[in-house]
Amino acid sequence: MTHDLSFWTLQTLNALQLSMLLFLLSIGLTVIFGLMHFVNLAHGALYALGAYIAASVAATAGFWVAIVVAPIGVALVGVVLYGGLIQRMRKSGPMAQVLVTFGLIFALLDLTRIFWGDLALAMATPPALSGQVDLLGVSYPAYRLFIIALGAAILAALALALSRTQVGAMIRAGVDNDAMAACLGINVERLFFVVFCVGCALAGLAGAVAAPLLSVTPGMGLQILIPTLIVIVIGGLGSLKGAIAGSLIYGFVQTFGAVLAPQLASVLIYALLAAVLVIKPVGLFPAKG
Amino acid sequence: MFRHTPLRYAVLAILAIAALMQAFTAGYFGLEILIEILILCLLVLALDLVAGFGGMVSLCHGALMGVGAYAFVALNALAGLDPWLAALGAVAITAAVAWVIGAVCARSHGIYFIMATLAFGQMGYSYVFSAPLFGGDDGIGGIDRFDLTALGIDLSDSRTFALFCLAVLAAAYLFTVAILRSGLGRSLAGVMHNEKRMKALGLITWRVKADVFGLSGVIAGVAGVLAAQHIQFISPGLMNWTVSGEALVVVILGGLGTLVGPLVGAAAFVVMKHQLGEITTYWHLIVGVILIAVVMSRANGIFGWVEARWGARIERRLSDATRASTPKEVSTDA
Amino acid sequence: MKRATLATLAAATTLALPAATAADTVDIGLLLPFSGVYASLGNEIEAGFALGLATYGNELGVEIILHREDTEVTPAVGLARTRKLILQDDVDAIVGIVSSGVLGAVRDLVDGAGVPLIVANAGNDEATGEACSPWITRVSFSNGQVNRPMGRWMAEQGIETVYTLAPDYAAGRQMIEGFAGAFTEAGGTILGSDFTPFQQTQDFGPYIAQAQASGADALFVFYAGGEAISFVNQYASFGAGDDLPLYGSGFLTSQLYVDAQGPSAEGVITALHYVPTIDNPENAAFVAAFRDATGRTPSEYAVQGYDAARALVEALETGARDRETLGAALRQVSFDGPRGALAIDPATNNVVQPIYVYETVTGEGGMTQIVLAQLPAEADPVNGCAMPSMPTN
Repeated sequence: MTHDLSFWTLQTLNALQLSMLLFLLSIGLTVIFGLMHFVNLAHGALYALGAYIAASVAATAGFWVAIVVAPIGVALVGVVLYGGLIQRMRKSGPMAQVLVTFGLIFALLDLTRIFWGDLALAMATPPALSGQVDLLGVSYPAYRLFIIALGAAILAALALALSRTQVGAMIRAGVDNDAMAACLGINVERLFFVVFCVGCALAGLAGAVAAPLLSVTPGMGLQILIPTLIVIVIGGLGSLKGAIAGSLIYGFVQTFGAVLAPQLASVLIYALLAAVLVIKPVGLFPAKG
Repeated sequence: MFRHTPLRYAVLAILAIAALMQAFTAGYFGLEILIEILILCLLVLALDLVAGFGGMVSLCHGALMGVGAYAFVALNALAGLDPWLAALGAVAITAAVAWVIGAVCARSHGIYFIMATLAFGQMGYSYVFSAPLFGGDDGIGGIDRFDLTALGIDLSDSRTFALFCLAVLAAAYLFTVAILRSGLGRSLAGVMHNEKRMKALGLITWRVKADVFGLSGVIAGVAGVLAAQHIQFISPGLMNWTVSGEALVVVILGGLGTLVGPLVGAAAFVVMKHQLGEITTYWHLIVGVILIAVVMSRANGIFGWVEARWGARIERRLSDATRASTPKEVSTDA
Repeated sequence: MKRATLATLAAATTLALPAATAADTVDIGLLLPFSGVYASLGNEIEAGFALGLATYGNELGVEIILHREDTEVTPAVGLARTRKLILQDDVDAIVGIVSSGVLGAVRDLVDGAGVPLIVANAGNDEATGEACSPWITRVSFSNGQVNRPMGRWMAEQGIETVYTLAPDYAAGRQMIEGFAGAFTEAGGTILGSDFTPFQQTQDFGPYIAQAQASGADALFVFYAGGEAISFVNQYASFGAGDDLPLYGSGFLTSQLYVDAQGPSAEGVITALHYVPTIDNPENAAFVAAFRDATGRTPSEYAVQGYDAARALVEALETGARDRETLGAALRQVSFDGPRGALAIDPATNNVVQPIYVYETVTGEGGMTQIVLAQLPAEADPVNGCAMPSMPTN
């Protein structure tokens, strides 16, 4: 089968779309880790929660309200989690953190089942974004372009905030050396809190944005967790650059793997992860050497 | 360094007695649960060896167990080998696979190690899930249990099989203790404590890690063979990362690096799962809350908590009474 | 060695038999996933089963004691619970099983112990093929059965070339095999097939683009559950349906998911053994009763539970009360149900039933189905099933 240029353009857009979705999800997780050395395995569960909230809100108030409410809702859950669990777990070892967030996965999974049932929910694409757009000689779903644009916008905003604002500088200082940052008079605790909540909000946003594209099921959080972890580990923990690189690598490998080597599609990404870790045991762009 | 405190002996004795009592008195369902616990015990023993004593937190041990199970099926049901030979081959294959994974991942630490092992585990899972040779996700059956009829033992009986598993577990426990007390075990302790220093002393640290990972694979492989023989049917679900995740939960919940603790954890976890499953289909929620509560209590799992609270006291009293010569070395790994 | 296991089990069960035969009560094990990924299917089958017992089982004069067990969609758990049902609860028959993996795990046990099992979902072809058993009667469907008639029907509609997509697991491959075999036999050509990593595929875009580029007349797919919703939504968003119409196995647009798919499912043509809009009096009564009981429209899973209960009741009506007589009676069962005329094929113990080709369309109050064709019932090929005659021990 021969493919023309428009086919490859289409697949490139598909790859970008998947990358941006993963980027929204992984950036929160990686910055939380970089700053707080906290492995939040429940990040996927928060993404699922965002999707559920968005699907429920969208059913009555429409898509645009939903993608605003869902991140806020998930951020509020983040506030509760931070106050109740995360803050106290900061000083415990990674084992304890893995365990607590594993417990959270279990608990959140069943809570969504209790609230929303076992059946899959769906969220309609907003009328303004349904249909296709002609771009670069291909007709591409408008909603997918929206995801690419949203991801790019968030990426730009985060890059700007991290490099140009005072909070950004504080975060960078905290990632480098939190004890030293605290000595310089930065309120590290408050910084952690803000970053954690923003990370949760981004996970919620990712869930809300993914809901019209995928189906909203109790297992979706667990399904996305592994890809997200792969992204941040390939990219290297704690850095924006790593999250971007990881997301793009994952998106392109997955998409073009499906086209070029369909028999290997399911193992390709794991093989890549193993290969990266063998060559660079701490990922491509870790925050610290 | 691993050491048997009197408390550990006491708990081991209680566990053994409880298992024997269960094996002789339980009904069919009770025996199923007992066998499930014993196989999980083997898996968490293997995991505690690498995670608790080598700092290698693995998320591929479920998959290693699966390698053992599938290798056994390949050799027994597909190639038609005698179950004993097939088991030997399966354990050897698992150990080899584990050694390679250990060697490749040895340079990674912390979350990177976890993710690297996860990647290998998921590769195996994805492979068998879609491999027609092994029945794909529908699984594969036709598995024989060991033939001990020559000794007058009929393993097709659940009770006998449970006792057989218990004997295997006891052997695996002694095997693990022997590893930890060997030169290799001491090197491992050094590597876990300070890898750089051990390197500077001329130790090839990646070899130590890989060797221990391979030996851990032996136990995981045995667990896989028994799991395959228990159900006489296997499916890829056995290799999913959530199995490894659950095993890790059991190890940490029971008490990382205590060997005895994870055994307690395995029993508690399986019983809790079945009891809660009877009451509600939302048992994950309750397990999750219990997990969080245990961790928030800041102890090293259930057993670690018991040790921290009573272990030292009991030990002091006992050693005073018996005038033991070296009461100095209070368990530091609690 | 396996033989020995079975012999022991059989011995254990014969000892237990007299207690069950005497009284006019039967113990039935209901073995379904109530947690895990297929919990929604378990609940749907249970609702149908309960309705079936309530509809047909009241005038029997037999007390049916239900033992409800959760398989958690895990073969090991399913097997442990089955052992409990057979050896501890001493049930006379078992109903249920959603996943083929669990069915494979319990197959030798129920066959060896001689306990009748009514399969209410699991569709792997082997269960009524190579691994068939006189004790296992399937009232749901087989993967091949649902798709084979569709292959011929599509060829008859003048579709010459087809691209296929399905998740990369055993059921997905069997569904596509069943379709592709019949389609090529009828003169069609399969231009390409992709199998997508099961439950790992977030984005079907690459595969859809691949299918579009193939230039096929139509796309035939099998997806179920959450993947079915994602796939149909993503397919619609590409606007791919205009020059590459979407056909599929009917699970794709099952009543259970069609509301979540919404207008995206408009115009998709699929084939299945049941749709709620089949026009016959039994179905009308069933749909009305199911809506009364649960407030929702029944899916194929509900009707499988309902017909499983019906089959059980029919068997009890012959006077069968224990494992042996129930097992023999279940193989003779035939009746007109919501799906039309059902019978059990004596050669394989699989159900023989008509297949319905239907189009999903927007109706009042949600999506609904228009039945385009009723394809005649045909028995599955024997698939290597050497059905032994009923053991008379």
